Amino acid sequence: MQIETDHLTKRYRRVTALRDCSLAIPGCEVFGLLGPNGAGKTTLLRLLLGHLRPTCGSARVGRWDCVRESLQVRRQVAYLPGEVRLFRRMRGSGVLKFFARVRPEGSWQRARRVADRLQLDLSRRVASMSTGMRQKLALAAVFSCDTPLLILDEPTSNLDPTMRGNVMDMVKEAHNAGRTVLFSSHVLPEVEQVCDRVGILCDGALVHTQVMSELRRRHRIHAHLRGPVPTPPPGEESLSIQTDTAGNMVMETSGDLAALLGWLATLPLAAVRIEPVGLRAVYERYHVHPPQEKDASGA
Amino acid sequence: MRNLIRPFNVVLVRKAIADARLLLLGSLFVMFSFCWLRVWVVSLFPMDRFQTIVEQFREFERFMPVPFEQLFTYSGRIALTYDELIVVMCMAVWAIARGSDCVSGALGRGTLEMVLAQPISRARLLLTQAAVTTAGSILLGLASWLGIYVGIHVTHVKQVVTPPVWTPSLSGADFAPWVSSVTVAVPMSQHIDPRVFWPAAINLAALGFFLAGLSTLISAVDRFRWRTIGVVATIYVVQLIMKIAGLASERLAWMLNWTFFTCYEPERFVSYAVHVPRSAWQIIRVDASGQWLGPGPVGHDLILVGLGLVAYAGALLVFTRRDLPAP
Repeated sequence: MQIETDHLTKRYRRVTALRDCSLAIPGCEVFGLLGPNGAGKTTLLRLLLGHLRPTCGSARVGRWDCVRESLQVRRQVAYLPGEVRLFRRMRGSGVLKFFARVRPEGSWQRARRVADRLQLDLSRRVASMSTGMRQKLALAAVFSCDTPLLILDEPTSNLDPTMRGNVMDMVKEAHNAGRTVLFSSHVLPEVEQVCDRVGILCDGALVHTQVMSELRRRHRIHAHLRGPVPTPPPGEESLSIQTDTAGNMVMETSGDLAALLGWLATLPLAAVRIEPVGLRAVYERYHVHPPQEKDASGA
Repeated sequence: MRNLIRPFNVVLVRKAIADARLLLLGSLFVMFSFCWLRVWVVSLFPMDRFQTIVEQFREFERFMPVPFEQLFTYSGRIALTYDELIVVMCMAVWAIARGSDCVSGALGRGTLEMVLAQPISRARLLLTQAAVTTAGSILLGLASWLGIYVGIHVTHVKQVVTPPVWTPSLSGADFAPWVSSVTVAVPMSQHIDPRVFWPAAINLAALGFFLAGLSTLISAVDRFRWRTIGVVATIYVVQLIMKIAGLASERLAWMLNWTFFTCYEPERFVSYAVHVPRSAWQIIRVDASGQWLGPGPVGHDLILVGLGLVAYAGALLVFTRRDLPAP
């Protein structure tokens, strides 16, 4: 299920929640949305569902316009909102039955299987469930729908580490089954784990799209030199080198690491550390926080 | 048939009924039992004593939709039930509670986010709620009539009668003045036909439909249920004051044309049903010369239903076009 947005913009009176967002997600891809709070992730997802009307621009899911043909769009989509609110007076089983029956392709049996997998007690009333249990209930309702597109807004929030792993497995299974997943999260390792591509939003604008397979090839080498700074080996166009006067050197490469290791062995190194360039490095490139803010958040 | 029920989703209908069940059952119980009780209370006060009391308020007759003479009949006194605070509030609470819950209530609870992520159109969601609320309003109108019907059939009123005494005479039965009158209890049903209260019950249901439509319209615009209820309650009170002011002063009589309470006059419609049964079902009233006298009872009901439909249409228009705020 293909998703396409064209200069999609959502403006409130003084605030621009999403600005000129043009995005194309081909079918059968797990696409991650990253950005701090208020970056426009949820706005983008809710525009796709027709919950919001764009100020300008357009969005399509498959061949359907998200405003004019919102009903057809929602037939193709299973959506997990960022903040799950369910019918408080109903029992878990009642909620799942409701969502199974309200969709033509819904299945109560499938929902029950997902609930079992998430170790959810369906006999409890929603009002007496914890936040995590409600999250699991909503996940069971969403993953029981056999739709070609899954839109998940922070699906692992409020879940324990085991359940987070379960949810990630379910996302991978959905991907393997040929479904498209649009995935918004703040947890970078999860996004790295399951996404094929990642879009980074900043102040309502899509500032970067990262192909994860390219990122996984990239490595960063921290080294301390005892001698002069070397010239890069020939044929390593993707290699970038930064040095300081103290002999510290940071190299970044997206090329073959084996060839580079041979060259490194010839250098007068006092210490060396090699690490993959994670999503955090890409993310922080666009979201640099002042140090005191980092301290306050414990980051 | 399938096309007829298409605007309503069966699962949503069940959900709406489940949500409204407690309020509806409570309201039906209150409506039925109060109307029954009210008939019984009427039977407790002898008509002559009631008349003496009411006569002292003759100067306030202009506030009544019917002449005081109508109140000196059992049907007139029972018809006052439809102006009782409990009856009107019972219908108003039902209509405002359900109407306000439709959009702003669901938005406030945050449940609309996931419900509208399903393949359910906003129009279908609103129409389903409207259908259940309307059915509830009709049931409440019916419960009021049933309460009166049961009350009339199980209640007895005291009546002074002089037993006929047969004395031989050329003309047949003759009255014997030496025989004293006795007070006997006779079924109230001998005095009143409960069918005369149908126009009042329908008028009450029409009021409920209008109030539900108005509440749904405000709810479709708003995002907080408490504010929706506040706005509708304010409109209700202002409209009521306009009616009272319009009746109180000739100078303010124009206000009567701008309050929906002008269309809620169950006592008058019962009076029509008692005196000229055919006129209780008229859309418009004309005199013998064909002169327009105003809308008839059905006409008033149609105005309320029409205003309710306009409000529902407005609610549909707003709700299908608005942004849904995040929970």
